[in-house]
Amino acid sequence: MTRPIIEEPLSLTLVEVQKPNLTDEEVQYAIQMLQREPNEVEWAMLEAQWSEHCSYKSSKPLLKQLPSKGTKVLVGPGFDAGVIDVGDGWVVTLHIESHNHPSAIDPYGGAATGVGGVVRDILSLGSRPVALLDPLRFGSIESSHSRWLFDNVVRGIADYGNCIGVPTVGGEAEFDPSFERNCLVDVVCVGLGRKDKLVLGEARNPGDLVYLVGGRTGRDGIRGASFASKTLTDKSDTERSAVQVPDPFTKKLIIEAILEAVEANILRGMKDLGGGGLTCGLAEIAAKAGTGIEVDLNKIQTREPNMLPAEIMISESQERMILLIREEDERELVNILEKWELSFAKIGHVTKDGLLTIRRGNEIVAKAPAKFVAEAPLAPKSAMRPRYLDVLAKVPEPALPEDLGQTLIELLSSPNIASKEWIYRQYDHEVGIRTITKPGQADSALLRLPNKRSLALTTDGNSKQCYVDPYWGAMGVVSEALCNLVASGAEPVAVVDHLQYGDPGNPEVYWTFKEAIRAISNYLKAVSVPCVGGKVSFYNEDSTSGKAIKPSPVIAALGLVEPKTPRILQALRKEENDLIVIGNTSDEMGGSEYYEHVHKLSGGRVPRVNLKKERTLLRSLLRTLRSGRVESIHDISKGGLAVALAEMSVQGRKGATVDLDKVPNKTSRMDNLLFSESRSRFIIETKPKNTTRIVNSFKRLGIPASKVGSVSDNGIEFLAKGQAMLTIPMAEASRAWSEAIPGAMEATI
Amino acid sequence: MSPATFTVEVIVENKPLARDPEGETIHRNLILKGGYSQVTGVRAGKLLRMNVEARSSEDAEQLVRKLCDDLRIYNPASHICQVRVLS
Repeated sequence: MTRPIIEEPLSLTLVEVQKPNLTDEEVQYAIQMLQREPNEVEWAMLEAQWSEHCSYKSSKPLLKQLPSKGTKVLVGPGFDAGVIDVGDGWVVTLHIESHNHPSAIDPYGGAATGVGGVVRDILSLGSRPVALLDPLRFGSIESSHSRWLFDNVVRGIADYGNCIGVPTVGGEAEFDPSFERNCLVDVVCVGLGRKDKLVLGEARNPGDLVYLVGGRTGRDGIRGASFASKTLTDKSDTERSAVQVPDPFTKKLIIEAILEAVEANILRGMKDLGGGGLTCGLAEIAAKAGTGIEVDLNKIQTREPNMLPAEIMISESQERMILLIREEDERELVNILEKWELSFAKIGHVTKDGLLTIRRGNEIVAKAPAKFVAEAPLAPKSAMRPRYLDVLAKVPEPALPEDLGQTLIELLSSPNIASKEWIYRQYDHEVGIRTITKPGQADSALLRLPNKRSLALTTDGNSKQCYVDPYWGAMGVVSEALCNLVASGAEPVAVVDHLQYGDPGNPEVYWTFKEAIRAISNYLKAVSVPCVGGKVSFYNEDSTSGKAIKPSPVIAALGLVEPKTPRILQALRKEENDLIVIGNTSDEMGGSEYYEHVHKLSGGRVPRVNLKKERTLLRSLLRTLRSGRVESIHDISKGGLAVALAEMSVQGRKGATVDLDKVPNKTSRMDNLLFSESRSRFIIETKPKNTTRIVNSFKRLGIPASKVGSVSDNGIEFLAKGQAMLTIPMAEASRAWSEAIPGAMEATI
Repeated sequence: MSPATFTVEVIVENKPLARDPEGETIHRNLILKGGYSQVTGVRAGKLLRMNVEARSSEDAEQLVRKLCDDLRIYNPASHICQVRVLS
């Protein structure tokens, strides 16, 4: 079978500055504010900065609903990364980014530069990047195009992370045909820094010098931001101008040079150049502080001759940072940059006048208030509940499979459930020697902090549930992330969100986006955890099929583990230990892997979250874990109770016998009880002497809990009414779970 | 005409105006530091040399061009790919 041929792309697209890609309202607004027609450089700058990607013009008012304050939050949304106080003078920074459109046309380079971008965000706060996590979404693994994307994206992430010496400690992968042409490649980066060395992206001090450091400015990546703000078409394969070449070795030098300058206390402001390039960097850093910036384009080192001012202003060449310093610290900065062999240029200075003044030598090529450039007029969109939801809500229940054991094997080999070792074995997850819990061992990754605490990190998403029910699906995603943290012994501290949707101009798409924010916001308020930053990515749709991706909010959550908390993994540990199920199982099959993968059925009731009980549940679970009475634990999510138990069993190479009659539930069918993805449930392994105590501690708070069975030296076995209802040998479960993804990836092209 | 064996070379490199960190590093850190300042630029790439059975050199070139496209030996979004038959 041959793959679809990608057309030979046309040569470089130059900027078409004559016709700005702005709405009529935006054009009117710009002319009115400036009281003149902007020139071509200014139009290009506005087009880049006012793109959805840079300006959040369709999402800003909604994002304000999310709670962002907390006792440990030092810096919240609106900066390059959120900053959390983790005690003893240390801070942790957290950010999430995506590189969806670049990865869809150049999966290796797109994914690698995606890692590069989020690493720069972490660095620009003055913190050292210490961990990466990668939530990924692709089309069906059966499709050769999706496998090509998947294979190259994972290699791109692995190579870049490994080269810069930052471990990739976690992530997740989901496969669904809606991502066939438009894969989602998200990257979470976590940084570690000192509270007294934090640097903000604000040009607070007029007179400070503006340095541009790192890569030279070229025509690559021109219009990347506006590229990300439109729908991918077949033609995009040929629009090579948004493809950037990753350069991790320069990035490594930038990291070390910047951190040395941070250590020397000479940086007064810093900003990474990403989407929107110099325009976005300069406008935002000045607008945040109410100052202005004047730069001379002749000072900027360009990679190609004859670059137009507009091209320089919106180039998205990689590996560039803006640094603000005092004049007297110039020598020291230059020494550091020369030591690391980085190219740099003094391009201008901070002014009092609040204007962005762009000169080329003595000629002024653009001049406009920084705040005006930085803040696009808001473009609220209309929302309408999609009609498909009513159809999905009413899908008839599927027939009960004859062989439930076979169904469990099918689920274990679904790429959405199967072991992701094929992915993470390509990543270096230990470089930096901070990694305590490795990928796949527990519900979250654990990293050592310098102050005896440790950091728990996890990411979650569930586009299938978010499609069937945009509100409860999104809430389930946050709930799962926090449950993952707590199951690793961590207290949830903060989250960042990444909201990935189709065209916001489509009222049905916009409605699903609104519902996700409402759900995430309601959940976070109920459990008092802030959202310290995030990202919105619209226009994720495939114009060939005309379909938007399934709604894909992704949550990255961060928790703190107190010293002396026992480290508890998923693997079952010892025969004859008891198994306890916490939480109630209901007929909530909508978007479940059982419906989608086994029955090819999309629809039904999506799991809900009991907001009144969630906080109590998380707290009491954390208390139980800290008590040292838990031997192993796993949250029950994709594939339900049966899959969660099988995963614990396979990893621990121990069998388990569970009596389904004892599992707290309100289900009407045996398959629902086994495979429902009802939220906020856990399986706990404990020594028999602790069982009653644990069960009672939950029951006392009104949370269902019950001893359901025990660890054995046999296979995986579920009983009902004294009869074996489902039995599978360990080896078969293990093979299904371990070999599904490598098997699919080794398939012939 | 009976088939003959042709040697066909495939050269894959980043597009001319895109960056090439590998070439830049070789240029800066080896060549310029080694004193060869006459060299003003280096581009790194990948060379595949294939032995191909075909009726003519045109056929051999066409076959290799097709396989490079079909099997994604290069990504047209970021690379240029030259195919040449050695005489």
